[in-house]
Amino acid sequence: MNIVVCAKQIPDPAEPGELDPETKTLKRDGKLILDESDMYGVEMALQLADNAGGGEVTLVSMAPDNKVDGIRTGLAMGAAKAVLVSDPALAGTDALGTAKVLAAAVGKVEGADLVLTATESSDGYTGTVPEQLAELLGLPSVTFAKHIEIADGKVKVQRQTDAGYDEVECPLPCVVSVTAGVVEPRYPSFKGIMAAKSKPLDQLALADTGLEADQVGWAGGGQEIVGVEDAPEREAGEIIEDDGTGAEKIVAYLENLKLV
Amino acid sequence: MNFAFSDEQEELRSIVKSFLEKKSPEAAVREQMETESGFDPDVWSQMAEQLGLQSLIVPEEHGGQGFGYVELIVVLEEMGRALLCAPFFSTVVLATNTILQAGDDAAAKDLLPGIASGETIATVAFTEPAGKWDEAGIEMAATASGDAWTLSGTKMFVLDGHTANVIIVAARTDAGVSLFVVDGDAEGLTRTPLATMDQTRKQAKLEFDGVSARLLGTDGAGWDTLSTVLDLAAVGLAAEQVGGAQACLDMSVEYAKVRVQFGRPIGSFQAIKHKCADMLLEVESAKSAAYYAGWCASEMNDELPSVASLAKAYCSEAYFHAAAENIQIHGGIGFTWEHPAHLYFKRAKSSELLFGDPTYHRELLAQRIGI
Repeated sequence: MNIVVCAKQIPDPAEPGELDPETKTLKRDGKLILDESDMYGVEMALQLADNAGGGEVTLVSMAPDNKVDGIRTGLAMGAAKAVLVSDPALAGTDALGTAKVLAAAVGKVEGADLVLTATESSDGYTGTVPEQLAELLGLPSVTFAKHIEIADGKVKVQRQTDAGYDEVECPLPCVVSVTAGVVEPRYPSFKGIMAAKSKPLDQLALADTGLEADQVGWAGGGQEIVGVEDAPEREAGEIIEDDGTGAEKIVAYLENLKLV
Repeated sequence: MNFAFSDEQEELRSIVKSFLEKKSPEAAVREQMETESGFDPDVWSQMAEQLGLQSLIVPEEHGGQGFGYVELIVVLEEMGRALLCAPFFSTVVLATNTILQAGDDAAAKDLLPGIASGETIATVAFTEPAGKWDEAGIEMAATASGDAWTLSGTKMFVLDGHTANVIIVAARTDAGVSLFVVDGDAEGLTRTPLATMDQTRKQAKLEFDGVSARLLGTDGAGWDTLSTVLDLAAVGLAAEQVGGAQACLDMSVEYAKVRVQFGRPIGSFQAIKHKCADMLLEVESAKSAAYYAGWCASEMNDELPSVASLAKAYCSEAYFHAAAENIQIHGGIGFTWEHPAHLYFKRAKSSELLFGDPTYHRELLAQRIGI
């Protein structure tokens, strides 16, 4: 069972994030760490490979400046190898462009039976990459998995819903997005941290992916950020004095907002 | 020579820190300190199975990872910061070091794999009711009959003595102080948990009445081993104290920024600023002492005995001062049971006295550097 996990490296959420005043995008020039939401995918992949009695977990990532710190965390947890795509031309790439790059990177991994992703990243939150990736790879996809089992060439997924979960089956290979918090990601040992340094890490430039510069970056996205403004200050609320009709007035207020 | 931690050691620090933030938050510390055993077995297992903390300094041939003291002090510093309640110090810093220093291959082969896997909780019992930390304080007698030994007497303030499966005991034979291995459930051994001021680190009284024991290392060489182990323990404790002191400083600075009195944050008042600045100076100096001592311990060089005492004396005072000032800066709330300041204060006080107070270590330092 060979599993590919998409692993995003993001600025540490514990540090205050900053926007670049020129590009109006999040600054990513400091240390990048493995997005916590991807750790669940890495953990699930390691468990699935273990249960299947063998196979490799491969990480794929796209990051600026050949940053590898976050990937190393995934390798320390137990992933066998990683593919990183890094190229100055990728600056400004949107969700679809990211999916194109990741699809190309996944294509470099031989014999992948399953591709796992998070449902969304903790810094961008578009939540669209998993399905875009599945479409580009021509694979079926299941979203919001809280539990995954593999048997008879199929993946059985408990798919989280508002009310509980659906049981869904899907033939392999496929793309499954994993809900945050459904497993406890393992904590690597120092031996694992040291071993991660020598695990194979394939570093690709844009040209290696077969994509052209105009398919990615600002050009590929066909979008620009024209302005960034602070969120408006919270305005003073409406105070309702209870003269016996307080409850009705609150209901009327909420109805007006179409909340009840 | 580069004294900075490597990227991998920093990664270890951040992983241990995030583990302890999840597994040993204040609520968990309060929960565990109320129990008799004083630790959460699930957290202990996870520490062994995933992070491999119990196996960090155990050599690879005995099921460990074979790393050194620099990595260990990184872990201890984070444990001190989080006030982790677990028999880690007793098992790893005391018992593992004693087994390694005793030079007894058979005992190492027998005991270390269990420690590395997290199955064995171990400790060292050497202090007696007189409360001394030196060779003269060890009066307990070991009697030989053939190859077998029996122990009779009392050991006090034994860290995690009531939960340990393996207890290494210092006792006197005709040849002098020697070390013995006793099973936690051995016949004739009575273990009584002690009520401690610092509830986050459990201690026990152990009464031996003809308890059968196995010799560890060479008969009569016990104090040589133990003396080195106490140096290593002093270094480990210094690292723990640094973590606790930093936590107190962080808490104080944060509170000084948000607590408003007389229309301005209290951190803007000179009296508070000076307290915080003094704490910072001491915490940074304590770090330098503990890290250098950690490096000496990893190299096992000639400086270790003197640097260990220096670090223990300085870090003890820095931590206690930071913990006491933290209460002052917090004012009334810092004096309540609900605020964590008292947990650090008590840990700081008990750690100050453990293995000898600063005066004792200054005297040792003076002797060791020949003044």
